[in-house]
Amino acid sequence: MEQLEKLENQSIFIIREAYRQFRSVAMLWSIGKDSTALLWLIRKAFYGRIPFPIMHLDTTYKFKEIYEFRDKYAKEWGLDLLVYKNEKAIEDEVGPSKRKFECCTELKTNALKEAILKNKFKAIYLGIRRDEHGIRAKERFFSPRDEDFEWNYKEQPPELWDQFKSKAKNEEHIRVHPLLGWRELDIWEYIKKENIPIAGLYFAKDGKRYRSIGCQTCCEPVDSSADTIDKIIEELKTTTVSERSGRAQDKESAYTMQKLRSLGYM
Amino acid sequence: MKKRVIIIGLDGVPYELIRDLSEKGIMPNVTKLLSRSSFRKMRSSIPEVSCVAWSSIITGKNPAEHGIFGFTDLCANSYKLRFPDFNDLKSRPFWENSLVKSVVINVPSTYPARPMNGIHISGFVSIEIKKSVYPSTLVPVLESIDYRLDVDSDKAHKSMDLFLEDLEKALGARIKTYEYLWDKIDWEIFMLVFTETDRLMHFLWNAYLDTEHKYHQDFLKCFKKIDNVIGDILSKIKESDSLIMLSDHGFEKLECDVYINWLLKENTFLDWTVGEEAGLENINSSTKAFALDPARIYVNTNVRFPRGSIKDWDKDKVLRDLESLFTGLTINGRKVIKSICRKEQIYSGPYLEVGPDLILLGNTGFNLRASLQSQGITGKGIFTGKHTQDNGFLILADAGGEINIPEYPSVCDFTSIINGLNN
Repeated sequence: MEQLEKLENQSIFIIREAYRQFRSVAMLWSIGKDSTALLWLIRKAFYGRIPFPIMHLDTTYKFKEIYEFRDKYAKEWGLDLLVYKNEKAIEDEVGPSKRKFECCTELKTNALKEAILKNKFKAIYLGIRRDEHGIRAKERFFSPRDEDFEWNYKEQPPELWDQFKSKAKNEEHIRVHPLLGWRELDIWEYIKKENIPIAGLYFAKDGKRYRSIGCQTCCEPVDSSADTIDKIIEELKTTTVSERSGRAQDKESAYTMQKLRSLGYM
Repeated sequence: MKKRVIIIGLDGVPYELIRDLSEKGIMPNVTKLLSRSSFRKMRSSIPEVSCVAWSSIITGKNPAEHGIFGFTDLCANSYKLRFPDFNDLKSRPFWENSLVKSVVINVPSTYPARPMNGIHISGFVSIEIKKSVYPSTLVPVLESIDYRLDVDSDKAHKSMDLFLEDLEKALGARIKTYEYLWDKIDWEIFMLVFTETDRLMHFLWNAYLDTEHKYHQDFLKCFKKIDNVIGDILSKIKESDSLIMLSDHGFEKLECDVYINWLLKENTFLDWTVGEEAGLENINSSTKAFALDPARIYVNTNVRFPRGSIKDWDKDKVLRDLESLFTGLTINGRKVIKSICRKEQIYSGPYLEVGPDLILLGNTGFNLRASLQSQGITGKGIFTGKHTQDNGFLILADAGGEINIPEYPSVCDFTSIINGLNN
């Protein structure tokens, strides 16, 4: 079997297993390449009719192209689209220029908390991958979060020999990660193979392209001339730049820098 | 029974200010304390910044042993900045070395908090309350008294009134925390650091000097409040207890900022690729030396840096050229640099290699800054006070004749003093 087929089979197995186990589930769609690939797999797993909602956490700082892409394909694929905003935080003017450290927590984490509570979701599908970030390497396919949303990564169920712990206690919810074993390159090869539509921001324009997309305010394009999927695949085979290098530096450093600057220590 | 030791830290408070406010009756409890204490000037670390100084105070070690050289440092084999934290401290603080039960509140550079025998609330730069407190069961209590990890100094850049309001809240919450924890556990060492003093002096040193200043009374109010705490502690301590007060560095009036990287660029020691923004990551291989804040100079050697061009055998020549550049620097007829320290002269220990090659200390009033973005050699920002290296203070009360403290102690002497007291 080919690598991509193996990955696809495993992901679809996990997607179906989670739905069978929890029923009350939703998928988190950031409209980026990974979660769009995940959405594609979910459509395949349920033969085009997804039996649960697809959720978008709208921070209101996303790219225009992302909103357009979302609305176009939500309609075309007949998705049950749920858009969640933390209205209160937005009203309080939490944003990337003001109160930056709280921004992601309020606009993403707390919006998700609210959505889970309100809809009583037991499990959420996410398109994260182990090779994205050091801490994500520690993730499981079925990853429990307690009522405070805490992830106790030191005490997770082992997933040996492809045995997944797909049960959850009452007070917790489970994050389901069907793409955990995929690499960035696998995602692009799969997009090519399946001809999955993908946001235009990923393709080079004037020598720059986005490799990882979040909020417009906190991500930068990287230098690249890859304006087709083939060229992106070629680029990924040789690049030494990390996938998330265009994302704003980690929040703790940004916060520390701001504190030091305000006292003239930097 | 072991003696209990109480340590009160006043971040950045100079010897002369303690003397002045106690003589003027602003700090009557300090006056009372001084009448039965040894009162010394204390030398800070080099550079004279809180993270380095407190790291030396709590470990008794110099930067080449404890590994903290400044608020920023460089990633290995790179020009990329990183922010060292408590986990980068290579020696154990005194409260982790002994079985003595301790309460430690707001010591700078001790974030994130980690398990110890007692209670620890970390100080500047603490980011999240959850990671600042050990044991974590204390978090809800601190939240309920609106504990502030630090004063929001950003406010001072917008409105001094808002800043002072925030400072008062932070100080108030710090005091409440001390009151709450005093009887909470059966401690043998209780250490409480006030960092509000440093924040206040950065922005309002001029308000201290000028009795007519709009914020003069606000400045004094902060010290009065702290004096009340000292009075409260004096009323609570037993005869067998020892009380120590200290600061990590001093303060003085800031005349002007002096930008070291600008000087290095003007004198062709520092260069970055044309068209690129000024940033350490853009410096090119014709760079011989560059600075990190406040005035730590690194020679761009080929063994240490990716675009390093200075060979080992040329390094000493570069250092000598730098020394003559800094020695000759004058502004308005005054010499700017007081001393130029080679790391081998002031540090010793296993981490010497990763330290800066030269560290500069400025003459009175000159605030040395690295700064890559400045448009000239000098500038003046919002700050009216600056750190000093030679006039921190140490007050040791009720020690009897048993403890020998040096005439002019340094921050590195502190742990041996508490060890002496606690035995």
